[in-house]
Amino acid sequence: MTQALLELATVSKTFSRGGFLSRERVEAVVDVSFRLDGDRAEIFSIIGESGSGKSTIARMILALQAPTAGHVRFRGRDLAELRAEDERTAFMAAVQPVFQNPFEAFNPLKRMDRYLFMTCRRFTGLHDEAEIHAAADAALQQVGLTLAEIRGRYPHELSGGQLQRVAIARALASNPSLLVADEPVSMVDASLRASIVALFRKLCDELGLSIVYITHDLATAYSISDRIIIMQKGRMVESGDARTVLADPKHPYSRKLKESVLEPLAPGETPMFAR
Amino acid sequence: MSAVPNTARLTTGRDTGPVVSARDLRAWYRLSMFGVVREVKAVDGVSFEIRSDEIYGLAGESSSGKSTLVKTIAGAIRPPLEIVGGEIAFNFMAGTDGLHRASGEVAGQVRWRHLSYVMQGSMSVLNPVRRVRASFADFAFRHMGLDRAGFEAAVVSHLARVNLEASVLDAYPHELSGGMRQRVTIALATICRPNFVIADEPTTALDVVVQKEVLGMFRGIQREMGSSVLFVTHDMGVHAHLTDRLGIMYAGRLVEEARTRDLFARPRHPYTRHLIESLPRIGDDKLRRGLEGSPPSLADPPDGCRFHPRCSFATERCRREVPAMTPVGLDHRVACFERDRVEASQ
Repeated sequence: MTQALLELATVSKTFSRGGFLSRERVEAVVDVSFRLDGDRAEIFSIIGESGSGKSTIARMILALQAPTAGHVRFRGRDLAELRAEDERTAFMAAVQPVFQNPFEAFNPLKRMDRYLFMTCRRFTGLHDEAEIHAAADAALQQVGLTLAEIRGRYPHELSGGQLQRVAIARALASNPSLLVADEPVSMVDASLRASIVALFRKLCDELGLSIVYITHDLATAYSISDRIIIMQKGRMVESGDARTVLADPKHPYSRKLKESVLEPLAPGETPMFAR
Repeated sequence: MSAVPNTARLTTGRDTGPVVSARDLRAWYRLSMFGVVREVKAVDGVSFEIRSDEIYGLAGESSSGKSTLVKTIAGAIRPPLEIVGGEIAFNFMAGTDGLHRASGEVAGQVRWRHLSYVMQGSMSVLNPVRRVRASFADFAFRHMGLDRAGFEAAVVSHLARVNLEASVLDAYPHELSGGMRQRVTIALATICRPNFVIADEPTTALDVVVQKEVLGMFRGIQREMGSSVLFVTHDMGVHAHLTDRLGIMYAGRLVEEARTRDLFARPRHPYTRHLIESLPRIGDDKLRRGLEGSPPSLADPPDGCRFHPRCSFATERCRREVPAMTPVGLDHRVACFERDRVEASQ
């Protein structure tokens, strides 16, 4: 077996809240295991309702939070053992996040190009200004933008879809091998959503970039994923090939989730809430 | 107050006239900075009617002007927003000209009694430091004409319609789940049996399982009360399953309107068509393509049809002239010069 790109081995995360006397424990993630192969890029979707632990998994993969039990390994290295500065930097370059709300992800007083230049400078080892600009432009071209378009622009001058493209370009600037996208299209307008989702597929196929796609939207997950897992209350209730699982979900919760999706009607279908 | 009879619901009964009608409505934001006036034409010439006992859907993306349209209809006009032109009429305010021109006294009697709202953020409707019971008393008590005991009984029986027990009245909003809170706000908005309810993205913050439940209850209550509803959401899946008629907004204008079923079956505007086609479906392996470009800035919209820079059907005429809403079938209107070509290409 080749080395896994990412491996979660019986990972659990428990948060405790409350005071000294009345301590309440919340099991956000319970015994989750999965692995992404190192030699084949794929889009791996994590689906679940709010509070199902999807974002906690994302934070643990990004090493922003340590699991209470179990191990998260990236290329065989346990994230809990990443101590040295250069090791952490190399990890951050290889695993990059894209967050949900592009309007909150960027400082409104800071020009958009700065984020790209900063990422290039820190992670690619480039020092020459012209080289940095060329690298930023190359990253932007991957997402269908150019440096000339966003040079000197502030976040409020761009639409949600453009901002999210810049966020993805910024993540690509460090030449990562894994992208963790936590609800990346839920704040993006419907007419632009399809193009961002298609962009993920393109990046996976053309750059060989593996993507962990976290969403509650079954339809977009179906359209781009290779494999999915369905989470409920911190537990994995179903997993497998995306098409197979979503075409015929087995677990009662997965079924309920699929039945609740409101899709445009096919001819002859009746609306769920007709007059 | 003769303009606002309290028995409007009884007297209108099977009224066939529209409950709400807007004609050539223009609501702009006018900002004056250092003597330079900047106009944002958020609602620019919108006409439509909402009939009695129907859910009228309004779809559009961010910055399409739908929130401004909702504010204008609800009479929540604050500078820099101004109503520059057009008219709004409500059948329950006969002889008056919309809420925005009504006196404070009349508006106070109409709001909640005849016109109420369900908002996206239930937390910003319910007072976070008071029990749910207090919110009901604040919003509805003075409109109901009941004594304390009678009011409490009415609230409890109304809560049962959204499957909530009387015990939620003693809860603080943060103790309830998002779905329960949104059901409380729906109960709150409908307890006075209003003629007209504005629902602005009421289920967008809920996850799919809860959303389905809440939408089912919403339709149930609407059916029972016979209220008219303006239901705003960008989610075309929700529109497909809930609304009776649907209007599509783009860059401050209504571009198409039809019975929901007809609109999905035979969209005539290229933008509507794109909205429907870009929706991914489970079981459909075709990868969806997004629309190129972005919605225009409403401070400086393009001339002619505002969709022309993103439209593959655009001609020279579309760049110069503004297409008017034109009937193309029963209850179906579209604002597109190339509507026949759009339809022929499906």
